[in-house]
Amino acid sequence: MTEFGRLGLVGLAFYLLGLVALAFVARRARGSDSPTDHFLAGRELGVFVLFLTLYATAYSGNSLLGYPGEAYRRGFSWIMATGFMLSIIVAFHMLIPRLRPIAVRHRFVTPGDWVRYRFRGEPGGRLLLFGVSMLMTIALANFLFAQLKAMGELSTEVTGGVVSYEMGIALLAAMILFYETLGGMRAVAWTDAAQGILMMVGLAALAAWLLGEASGLAALSQQILAVRPEIGRVPDTVERTNWLSSIVLLGLASTVYPQAIQRVYAARDGRALKRSLAWMSFMPLTTTLVVTLIGLAAIPRYADLGEVAADRVMPLLLGQWASTGPVFAGAAVLVFLGALAAIMSTADSCLLSLGSSLAEDLFGRPRDAPSTTAFAKRAAGAVMIGMAVVAMAARDVTLWGLIELKMELLIQCVPAFLGSRWAVQLRWQARWPE
Amino acid sequence: MKGGGSARALRRLLLVLVGVLYALSIPWYRRGGDPAELWLGLPDWVTVALLCYAGAALLNALAWLLTEVPDDVPPEESSR
Repeated sequence: MTEFGRLGLVGLAFYLLGLVALAFVARRARGSDSPTDHFLAGRELGVFVLFLTLYATAYSGNSLLGYPGEAYRRGFSWIMATGFMLSIIVAFHMLIPRLRPIAVRHRFVTPGDWVRYRFRGEPGGRLLLFGVSMLMTIALANFLFAQLKAMGELSTEVTGGVVSYEMGIALLAAMILFYETLGGMRAVAWTDAAQGILMMVGLAALAAWLLGEASGLAALSQQILAVRPEIGRVPDTVERTNWLSSIVLLGLASTVYPQAIQRVYAARDGRALKRSLAWMSFMPLTTTLVVTLIGLAAIPRYADLGEVAADRVMPLLLGQWASTGPVFAGAAVLVFLGALAAIMSTADSCLLSLGSSLAEDLFGRPRDAPSTTAFAKRAAGAVMIGMAVVAMAARDVTLWGLIELKMELLIQCVPAFLGSRWAVQLRWQARWPE
Repeated sequence: MKGGGSARALRRLLLVLVGVLYALSIPWYRRGGDPAELWLGLPDWVTVALLCYAGAALLNALAWLLTEVPDDVPPEESSR
């Protein structure tokens, strides 16, 4: 085993032990077994934890492995990713000020509660809720699949192959199930906070190394353009239109991320929520921009990675960084763990949302009964095991392909959340007149 | 009440400016396929996009701080 693999294995073991300890502390802090306490941490998340849990949830395996891969494939025009990640926080202006007070008054738990509230008593209201909940459940399962795939890839890289792709998925999926079942949203939010800090520090360190190696940003750009001059050219009309539509569609679709909506419900008060969102505005610059630069920096280093292999540019760069000396190997392990942490934090949030949506919106379980919490845990566990098996079998898909699929599902839920109630109603009546 | 009204107007203005910055971030002002010229270490159209996003992030953060996110709503106002 290499020095890097040994360090990675030890780091991974310590990290997982830390998660177990945090889950037990969260378990002791719980108020009751009610869905409100389990899924929303008793609605008591303050600015610091709320901001970090929003951050760690929004920036996932897709961002940390998929976006560098896409930057490697597309080149400089991937700067659009910084724009569309910011557009999510801009688009929240359309939803959150309306949603939050009503969610507090009516004690919402799931995203479907908003649809149920808006269309209560309307013809087709129940069918709309079922349709939206189904789309969200499939989107969340897809999201979980992407995180599990990314966890498998990273765990095998961080341990130098000692932990295989399949074993990594099984081990980390079991760990998420353990701490999420034990501590609920409280455990998820606390682990997210730790994971968010680890991710920010790790990415900054990697970007600094890459820029230092290339002797600055201008030298790095010149090296990139020497290998692929076409990616520096001004994008054509098709690419610019794609840029615009990505900003609009991804911004809108992401406002209905179920796990983000549940964090709106879980905030201690509106003040904590708006401050967290103000901080979130800057995160595309500290994260998406950094991972875009990381993907671009891989272009002069790895000339011909294939479509699927491009998703591995981040682990490849980290491996290269680790080989430059023992101090850098330690730093690379920290970045690996930061990335792994970010991916796990997204997976655990997906799982929490999945469980609550399945139990309340699809199976109609009562909102405040402890039996609903138990049912949601079992349902989420079953989906987790199913998606872990799928992720083990289907390794050869690109993360960007999974993001596109997820967004295509979520964008169809947007009219039910943001659109005019009357417009949706009129469309329904035009199609199925009474 | 007056202060609340001006905060709302300022918030709306900030959000309009965010929209303008988004429109400017896409290089409609250059001919597609033109070669890159480096500015501040990146192709010029990339630097422009980045500056627009940095400005939009700042204005959007200010807009959030000016946003009223009440924790309850009078029953008559709880529109669907």
